[in-house]
Amino acid sequence: MIQIENLSHVYPASRKTPARKAIDGLTLTVEEGQFCILSGPNGSGKSTLFRILCGMAYPSSGTIRIGGYDLLKEPAKARAQMGVVFQSPAVDKHLSVAENLKLHADLHGLSGRDLYERTDEALGWTDLKDRQNDKVMTLSGGLARQVELAKCLLTRPRLLLLDEPTTGLDPASRRNFVDALHKIQRGRQMTVLMTSHIFSEAEDADRVAIMKGGVLLANDSPQALRGQLGREMVVVQSRNAEALETRIRMGLNISTRRHGDEIRLEETGNGDSLPLLEKLLAAYRPEIDSIAIKQPALEDVFIHLTGKTAAEIEQTGDAQ
Amino acid sequence: MIGPAFALARREFVRFMRQPQRVVGTVAQPVLFWLFLGSGFNASFHSSGMGGGSYLEYFYPGVMLMMMLFASIFSSITIIEDRDAGFLQSVLVAPVSRMAIVLGKVMGGVAIAMVQTLIFTIAAPFLGLHIGLGSLALLIVTYILSSTGFAAMGFFFAWSMRSSAGFHAIMMVFLMPLWMLSGALFPIENAPGWLHAVMSVNPVAHALVLMRGPFYMDPAQLLADSRWLTALAVTLVWCVGFLLASMARVEKRERGASL
Repeated sequence: MIQIENLSHVYPASRKTPARKAIDGLTLTVEEGQFCILSGPNGSGKSTLFRILCGMAYPSSGTIRIGGYDLLKEPAKARAQMGVVFQSPAVDKHLSVAENLKLHADLHGLSGRDLYERTDEALGWTDLKDRQNDKVMTLSGGLARQVELAKCLLTRPRLLLLDEPTTGLDPASRRNFVDALHKIQRGRQMTVLMTSHIFSEAEDADRVAIMKGGVLLANDSPQALRGQLGREMVVVQSRNAEALETRIRMGLNISTRRHGDEIRLEETGNGDSLPLLEKLLAAYRPEIDSIAIKQPALEDVFIHLTGKTAAEIEQTGDAQ
Repeated sequence: MIGPAFALARREFVRFMRQPQRVVGTVAQPVLFWLFLGSGFNASFHSSGMGGGSYLEYFYPGVMLMMMLFASIFSSITIIEDRDAGFLQSVLVAPVSRMAIVLGKVMGGVAIAMVQTLIFTIAAPFLGLHIGLGSLALLIVTYILSSTGFAAMGFFFAWSMRSSAGFHAIMMVFLMPLWMLSGALFPIENAPGWLHAVMSVNPVAHALVLMRGPFYMDPAQLLADSRWLTALAVTLVWCVGFLLASMARVEKRERGASL
């Protein structure tokens, strides 16, 4: 559905800032009907990629095909197949739900009975049935997001692009939104590409692509990605992690990774974790604050690949 | 192109009507301006360039122009809000012509300006300005035309601005002189030479000529009057120019630097 080949994007130099390469020779394919999550730390190029995909920016080089059409040469045909949900609300909050849908339909040339049927279909899954005449600003964050998605579904897109759609929602609304999205995606056999750095959202996806510094670090199923890390790992917390890491590495002759005051022993074979933990406690007990055996989650894969913890990513927020 | 443009214009209008403060403010301000300044000057000033009427009468089309100018220009300010809020993105990715995006905003602004100016037109008979149906029709055409030109100009400047406070500041510096030198406050004919020159190249002055005309001349006379026709041509050029320039701005996409 999406074939991106050798895509590069360089932000031109201005008086104050030098030119910056945001995407560097990216090649990525999303198959028809897949639910793909695109993740990466801030500045990884995922927002730039999103802007290029929805036609708001022309890349420096490379090709993109959407459903068989070249996005750069036949933008109208390529874009006709997609619906876009932006991170910032793209509905008018002074208008009612119904007025927003009507406006979106007018912009996409839908009218008459066609529109009537599609409005029912687009709202079918939402909790908005009784609130169609309410202004969007009176709705909760979760419901406002549903309007956003319903609006995009009016045009029956084959491809849905979503840019961190759950930003600002509480965990329950976030869960609801993603669950509904999965249901819709399966029901209508749509392809979905969604950027996110909330890993609980990625666990149910078909593919997870991870970007950093404008290049693709990984693109695989969540299971396969977790598999990359072995089955288990030992995580040690210490106030003096830097010194301890060196000593563990020298003393036990195994590879380690450190993120702040956390040391990770990721290349632990199955069943080796417990003996390793005992060994560590015996040798370094005074310097260890806590120690645990952990099953790898997607978040750990992300940390492994990008060298950043989720907390660090959440902290900086998304600048774009 | 027309369908989406109308849909966008309708949105502007609905939003305007849902903010009663905006409606009251934009109608009341010029009316107060007119009543206070006009009545004050009425007793003290009388000039040969004004014809036989009172200052209140002379000032009347000038205030109408101010209403039109400000209502049209400041309706474009909503682009800045639309961009901030995120609404603009969904319009930009929709498969609509870029001219429809410009026209949507501009027609919305024109509709808003029209409501106000038409309300104000009710005052005309009380000033002894009796206009026939033909003149009224011409008057409405001139309203639409000049309002389109002003709204398109507002769009052109607002497009690249990131704060509405900045837009206000720039527009005040820019609009006030345009209006003051349009012949709204004092007749062009009596101004000193240099001011006369500045005033005659001011497009807003031409819009005022256009607007003042129907109150004093029949449609047949107007359509034969070279001064009025020149003003019509200038205003048309100004409209089309700013519409096209605005479209070019909307069309411009961010481009990656070449490798």
